[in-house]
Amino acid sequence: MGFKEYMIKKIISRFFVFFIVVSLVFILPRLLPGGAFAYLIENPNIPPETREELIKSFGLDQPLHIQYIRFLHNFFLKGDLGISFRYLKPVTEVIMEALPWSILLVTSSTIISFTMGILLGAYSAAKRGRVADSIITNSVMVFRSMPSFWLGLILLLVFGYYLGWFPLYGAYTYGAEYSSFVEYLLDVLYHLTLPLITLVLIQMAGYTLFTRNTMLDVITEDFIVTARAKGLSERKVVYGHALRPVLPPVITVFAINLGFSVGGALIAETVFSYPGVGRLMYEAVYTSDYPLLLGIFVYISAFTLTAITVAEILYGWIDPRIRRG
Amino acid sequence: MSTHALFSIREFLGVLKHSKHGKMGLALLAVPLTMALFADIISPYSPWERTGMPFEPPSIKHPLGTNDIGQDLLSELIYGSRISMLVGFTAAIVTVLIGVIIGLIAGYFGGIIDEILMSITDIILLMPGLPLMILLAAFLGQGYQNIILVISIIAWPGVARIIRAQVLSIKASQYIEAAVAIGASSTRIIFKHILPQVLPLALANIVLRIGGAMIAEASISFLGLGDPTQKSWGMMLYWAQRTGALSYGAWWWIIPPGAMIVISVLGFTQLGYAIEEWLNPKLRGR
Repeated sequence: MGFKEYMIKKIISRFFVFFIVVSLVFILPRLLPGGAFAYLIENPNIPPETREELIKSFGLDQPLHIQYIRFLHNFFLKGDLGISFRYLKPVTEVIMEALPWSILLVTSSTIISFTMGILLGAYSAAKRGRVADSIITNSVMVFRSMPSFWLGLILLLVFGYYLGWFPLYGAYTYGAEYSSFVEYLLDVLYHLTLPLITLVLIQMAGYTLFTRNTMLDVITEDFIVTARAKGLSERKVVYGHALRPVLPPVITVFAINLGFSVGGALIAETVFSYPGVGRLMYEAVYTSDYPLLLGIFVYISAFTLTAITVAEILYGWIDPRIRRG
Repeated sequence: MSTHALFSIREFLGVLKHSKHGKMGLALLAVPLTMALFADIISPYSPWERTGMPFEPPSIKHPLGTNDIGQDLLSELIYGSRISMLVGFTAAIVTVLIGVIIGLIAGYFGGIIDEILMSITDIILLMPGLPLMILLAAFLGQGYQNIILVISIIAWPGVARIIRAQVLSIKASQYIEAAVAIGASSTRIIFKHILPQVLPLALANIVLRIGGAMIAEASISFLGLGDPTQKSWGMMLYWAQRTGALSYGAWWWIIPPGAMIVISVLGFTQLGYAIEEWLNPKLRGR
């Protein structure tokens, strides 16, 4: 299969998954008894005019197949996912306000944990059987067994509450006035530190272990034996030769794990009251704001599916053998 | 892969006792398992009764202090082990059960059945797992049975893939060909020849997935989708967060439930490694 053909095939099949996601979001509230719309119909706090407008906006007065077509039309052509029960404005608008914060947190933590995990795993494999290896492997195992929100709570307790080094909530100081953009940026980074450390510590664990174990398989192969026989230093053997074939499988694991890392990040947001999509999702669950909850799921899916597809395309570009499958 | 057709419980315990991972796993799990089995004996109070003042720090009377309404936190921690472990165990078993059935059918029958089942598997694998769990939990409603269901719905595809791969390799072996040649029925081949060989792998997967299921339960509960009528470690953390335990510096409320989760997850992972090593001796000494 050529690269172009491979790429198109991946994009189409991943888009199909996204289509299923959108359909699921249509079906779920209509399928389950006493589901999403019961709240809408019964809630006495919503004024009658708004209620009628809401019912109309969801097209609940029409037959199911018409509703479905309208739903797809509204979403794919207008990006419209309905109106949030709580904010009483378009779901997309509400999500867009929170999205940049989540993207900042998820992207920075993913890049840092991915890079550090690979390096730490390679280092651990190079030092296999020694003290450094067992310290790394064991501590990484502990972090992998932790719920991300609990690690977040502990860090907040120690560095926020007891030591007072970092803020207890938020993504920036509320009501602060900044004299320059740099000052604003520093404030944002200051607030980002604890959530970022939480996510890096948790996400790094999987990459470290996986890199280490894949590398231990590679290290017994002939070309490594040859490299050693040539008299190359252990450092060059490990980072120059053995690391390269390890990267493609690590990228695959990265793609597979992404959905879960994003989920972990969203839950960590609630601990730090970080104003991202995860915090919004928590509020949506808490206030039974179903359109918002469903909309958030659509956006998260779009984000992870895009990232997975990009990873897969990169992988196919690096390693042509993959395209055969 | 293993050629053990069937295994006995005694052999299994023997394996655990002789492996480094196995011993470590059993040692770690001793605490949470004792809590779960003997909660009513070792617990100092009923976790549902108010036995102290709100937000009491640790004392001799309340070794882990009290919560916002004066319930004893140590008792809550001990009783909480039951739901956390129960959800972890059951979710892992249901997950593997679905995964084995789907993996067997897809691998054995192949063709269009395989393609359809594997497409469904891939679709679920590609969706963001935790957000999908939260979504389903929000729609299904609170109740620990629903949490078990939600975790299993999201997690089975991973198992199905592993089982399918093994079924394919077993199917290619000569004795299956021989069985087909002498006219054995599909049901006979599946139950008599393939299933017994898949079982050890299925068992390893159950043990390896308990930890993940426990973390998932804690996460769902922490977001307020847990069972409010039950005590679990995830629910303890949820209430700690809701009532602002952090702003009181109530470390005695926040640290223990998470530490118990970590100990249990580590324990089950170590046990899982021990079983994997037994199935695949090449992994030993890693």
